[in-house]
Amino acid sequence: MLNYLGLEIRRSIRDRRYLLLVAGWPVAAYLLFSTVFGAAADRTEGLAPTVEIMVAMASFGAMGGVLMASGPRLAMDRQLGWLRQLRLTPLSPARILAARLMAAMALSLPAIVLTFIVAVLVKGVTLPLWEWPLLVLFIAAGCLPFAAIGIVVGTIADGDGAQGLTMVLYLVLAALGGLWMPVQILPSALQTVAKTLPSYHLAQLGWHIARGVAPALGDGLVLLAWFAGAALLAVAVSRRLTLRTA
Amino acid sequence: MTHHPSASGSPVASRSTSPDSGDDAVRVDGVTRRFGAVLAVDNVSLSVGHGETIALLGPNGAGKTTTISMLLGLAAPDSGRIEIFGSAPGSATAHASVGAMLQDGGMMPGVLVGELLAMVRSLYAAPLALDEVIEITQLGGLEKRRVDRLSGGQSQRLRLAMALVGDPRLLILDEPTAAMDVETRRGFWHAMEGFTERGRTILFSTHYLEEADVAADRIVMMARGRVVADGTPSAIKDSVGLRVIRFTSEHAGIAGLETLPGAVSATARGNRVEVRCSNSDSALRALIATRPDAHDIEVAGIALEDAFITITDGIAA
Repeated sequence: MLNYLGLEIRRSIRDRRYLLLVAGWPVAAYLLFSTVFGAAADRTEGLAPTVEIMVAMASFGAMGGVLMASGPRLAMDRQLGWLRQLRLTPLSPARILAARLMAAMALSLPAIVLTFIVAVLVKGVTLPLWEWPLLVLFIAAGCLPFAAIGIVVGTIADGDGAQGLTMVLYLVLAALGGLWMPVQILPSALQTVAKTLPSYHLAQLGWHIARGVAPALGDGLVLLAWFAGAALLAVAVSRRLTLRTA
Repeated sequence: MTHHPSASGSPVASRSTSPDSGDDAVRVDGVTRRFGAVLAVDNVSLSVGHGETIALLGPNGAGKTTTISMLLGLAAPDSGRIEIFGSAPGSATAHASVGAMLQDGGMMPGVLVGELLAMVRSLYAAPLALDEVIEITQLGGLEKRRVDRLSGGQSQRLRLAMALVGDPRLLILDEPTAAMDVETRRGFWHAMEGFTERGRTILFSTHYLEEADVAADRIVMMARGRVVADGTPSAIKDSVGLRVIRFTSEHAGIAGLETLPGAVSATARGNRVEVRCSNSDSALRALIATRPDAHDIEVAGIALEDAFITITDGIAA
């Protein structure tokens, strides 16, 4: 299984267009937002704007990397018949899905690391040294629900449909989850919705760490609940994975 | 009126009921599979012994691919039972001992040929050496090529390599030579000989009788979801009647025609008589002796597909 996992990751890293999208986009957005709002006073999360936006954009990029590495790619492999072929090897379906989940999770890292590097080098962000590895770890781990959501998308939607659905989910989760703007500026009804979204709680994990406090258990539980729900759904529809598409 | 050999009257012995099937590589017992109203596989039974090379022969829509999907555990039968080396298809033990090439099996995009083969190889307990597989499948020099940049023939060889790399005891190939030219096909079966010489079992599907004849020890013929004949290639060829003699005779009637040497069945429409033959040469000689008035004689081959359909009709009647 590790060999398969390794090959899945290698394949994504080789895809330059994908890497540019998942790492380039959040970095560009970080530079834009932190320049525009950088002069403002401390924002809602009690952090300097350059730090708050850094965490938000790292979360945004991580979420995108994971969603795009799981959903559209799974849909493509399913349609190409690669999953049918793989299913004929001794690798069990559970291990195939586990490997894909982990490969998708690993692709949260390029955006996180790149955003942090740019924040430090360009915007002079400083944090206590111990906070950096924790930030990487929690933001990456917090992407677990997105990997499972991606697998559901890749199982039920085909090719361009999966690509489109992923993009819509990505943008809605980012905008409503407070990654682009504080949820406080949303109408109160939408704020209630926003606070149930995994993207909101992913950002909260990072903002807690950046403030130097322990991440809240509640945020972790909501993310776990989203993962559990998506994983159950993924198992329920998994029969589609090896159906003939020809 | 039409005379056809009935299933029971066929000279082809069925092996599916052989009593010593306890250690068969493949056992299929009364398997049925429907897709909506369509009966894709209809009460199929067959067995494959160790070391046999079996052709599943039939026209498109005969149920070959569905049967193979069920053998591989990719589809479940609605009723009936399948065993692969005594285990359920799709079980871990079955996957460990079966290599397969699907018609619609894809390859992981964005990786190199060598990487993909090495990864698949790592999933098996006692695989073949990578060099050996690359040599058998003539993929030498392509190891650094991306799998999505291969030609059709190269992809087909990579599919075969993925099926072989685990050194499976049973190889299941769904129309393996469909996209190959004559030369490539010959090379393919030559490579397969090396594989069977080591006591391995092969089950492949094809719609070419010639291919089944050359490559298989035994042919299981399917049409409309059923096994219509099961025997050695020569027995199958004799029973199918692949050539037809047509002639006009004022003495209409077909009495005695189907018992001519080399004849299989006879039909008449008005004065025009049609005799289906397994050996049209002997039948023609005998025909001219017994029916001196026959004229406008013509000898032709018939499409295998037609032969299958008439055989099925004969059984259904």
